Amino acid sequence: MSESDYPALGEISTIETAFEAAGYICTTRIATVIKLAASLEKPVLIEGPPGVGKTELAKTCAEVVNRPLVRLQCYEGLDESKALYEWKYGKQLLYTQLLKEQLGDILDGAKGLSESMDRLHQFGDVFYSESFLEPRPLLKAMGADAGSVLLIDEIDKADFEFESMLLEVLSDFQVSIPELGTITAQSKPLVFLTSNDTRDLSDALKRRCLHLHIPFPSVELEARIVASRVPDLSQSLTDQLVRFVHAIRALDLKKAPAISETIDWAKSLILLHAKDLEGNLVLDTLNVLLKYEEDIKIAEGQLPKLMATVTA
Amino acid sequence: MSDPDRHTVEQTASSDQLLAFMQFLRGKKIPVSPADTLDAIEAAELLGYADRTLLKHGLAATLAKSSHELATFESAFDDYFQIAIKKAGDASASDDPSALPDLSDKLLTSGGTIPPQDVNDPLEGLRGNALFDALESQDESALSLAIETAAAEVKVEEISLFTQRGQYVRKMLDALGDEALRAAAIEFEQSEPAAFEAVQALREQLRERVRDRVERAYLIHASAQTEDLLDESLSKVKLGNIDHSQMARLKRLMDRMARKLAARHGRRRRRYRRGKLHVGETIRKSVATDGIPFQPRWRKIERKRPQIMAICDVSGSVAAYAKFLLMFIYALQDVLPRTRTFAFSAALGEVSDLFDTLPVEEAIEKVNLKYGGATDYGRALNDFSELALAEVNHATTLIVLGDARNNQADPRLDLLAEMKARAKQVIWLNPESTRLWGTGDSEMLRVKRHCHVVKECNSLNQLARIIDQLLSDRR
Repeated sequence: MSESDYPALGEISTIETAFEAAGYICTTRIATVIKLAASLEKPVLIEGPPGVGKTELAKTCAEVVNRPLVRLQCYEGLDESKALYEWKYGKQLLYTQLLKEQLGDILDGAKGLSESMDRLHQFGDVFYSESFLEPRPLLKAMGADAGSVLLIDEIDKADFEFESMLLEVLSDFQVSIPELGTITAQSKPLVFLTSNDTRDLSDALKRRCLHLHIPFPSVELEARIVASRVPDLSQSLTDQLVRFVHAIRALDLKKAPAISETIDWAKSLILLHAKDLEGNLVLDTLNVLLKYEEDIKIAEGQLPKLMATVTA
Repeated sequence: MSDPDRHTVEQTASSDQLLAFMQFLRGKKIPVSPADTLDAIEAAELLGYADRTLLKHGLAATLAKSSHELATFESAFDDYFQIAIKKAGDASASDDPSALPDLSDKLLTSGGTIPPQDVNDPLEGLRGNALFDALESQDESALSLAIETAAAEVKVEEISLFTQRGQYVRKMLDALGDEALRAAAIEFEQSEPAAFEAVQALREQLRERVRDRVERAYLIHASAQTEDLLDESLSKVKLGNIDHSQMARLKRLMDRMARKLAARHGRRRRRYRRGKLHVGETIRKSVATDGIPFQPRWRKIERKRPQIMAICDVSGSVAAYAKFLLMFIYALQDVLPRTRTFAFSAALGEVSDLFDTLPVEEAIEKVNLKYGGATDYGRALNDFSELALAEVNHATTLIVLGDARNNQADPRLDLLAEMKARAKQVIWLNPESTRLWGTGDSEMLRVKRHCHVVKECNSLNQLARIIDQLLSDRR
């Protein structure tokens, strides 16, 4: 059982405290899923709007279990040679050259063609051995001795073929290399996949994963998150700020501000030595929170109403 | 809880209940595979059944596979376990003497589970009756087993109507052997009031359990069936005849169909991307390997994304159908990018922007308001030619939705012919049934000549089939 692999993830309450100590406030739902992932040895598929801390969760998890984090960023056109492994062609070529020079010595004394071929065959296998193998993230994660945390980021950006290739890795924690055979992970990595929901993932992949949907946090939770990330901000300002952000999210925007934007905003308020959230300050710093010109216009129009929710 | 036997009994009872819950979820259109079931049971066992929120989170992680399914799952969980909690409350009352003081008092005074010293205990005659013993000693496992056996015997899962519940309760009680207890109760009624009370209380408890079992069977098997039946008939009925009360259901049904289509066709797009050998690239790449082409490079086949232009008649007679076509197309936006929509009745205008910025329902209201009026196909086609004909090319599929009834005016079919010549496909969808084409002021028979495909389209099923075909042959 992997409970021995990742003893830090045995109990829900310990997960919560450990993550909080590492600077990630997680809900019981998140903690539950992480416990299940560690105990059932299943990958976790994290979905949710951008900026709610999907990637951060995996990073924090690596910190908590004290294992290396192996990250694979997905994009269209990502293929096996970049995700799994690649042969070191240059090195193979170099060794072929060396072999060429020594060919005379090797074949010295060989009688007939078949014996020469036999001798050469001994070298054929050498070229496809692990020393010529360049491990890419997936293979690296499988090979880590004491387990690792594998983060496959934005899987929805990868191609469908890549998704199918992942199936073997995710269900059996093994990688097949035609020339070498199957490499199985000695201790199974904790796998996190994140998706921004730009497309539907295949059922086969979904079936192999535990699902975790992280929505925008509640006011209380977000206040706790900001307080833990930006401890220098006074409590009253934190409260005002979080309530303002929540009011903004209720507007019909192109892109609602996420937690990461809230934190950025909190940090900029500190730089500006703000004591209170007031109209002009908000107007000047709104671009930290909103990334589209149209959104900023909408928010500016609604500013009196938004400010009212803060003071209420 | 300290008793290990009880624990396992509870566990089997709970995993039975979990299985029933999965069935319930399937009824709610969440696909639960056998593998999912195993995962869910494993997760539940790991988290325990005691903490309901924890169980909910755990099951959600294994069973709900998208944010959409998550919402359905959460309400289904609450619905299902509300009934189950009530049931469990009744069942576990035996653990907790304070919950049913009168019953347990009676059990104690009338002998209870302690070996009876009172030789004249009137209940003695009933001991040995398996059902009575199970009830009296509150033997959970024996009772559940007996109830399940009875349920199987009377085929309670065949329940299909709300009104059959009483009948099934009766049947199950008979199968359980309640008759003997009833006879005993009648016998005691005059002579032994205390024993009568005790037996009646136990019988009432049994009846309650059976009722819950039947209720659950109804919920799991019949309610989903009823839903399916309603959905099925709704997808066949003419869209123009659907009244307001059905709209919510129809919308749900359509969303589901659109999601299914999107999932199917969204994926197909990614296949076959490798083309012929790219010689130049292969040679360039082979420089690194001393001219030996280790890695062949391939030309990429460019994806042909079809462009759809939908032209919808929004005049009174056809408006309802136009609405559904537009809603459907916009539900498929992920698979059909670059879709442009036009609406007309007299004048024609592009409405794509409206759909991009507003929620579908609102956009449709706006469209109706702006372009509604008496139909004039000639003018509409003319407007379209001026507005967008230049952008119609061999990748464009034109969909026209209308009844082709032009109030005797010139429908300008020459323009339609030109559109046909330029576009990849012109599809004309007519909500009228084929029999009526060409009658009265219908220009449909003439229109037909200038289209690649003409189809009758007036129900959700037809609409979905047409769009499915459209997506299938777009490579």
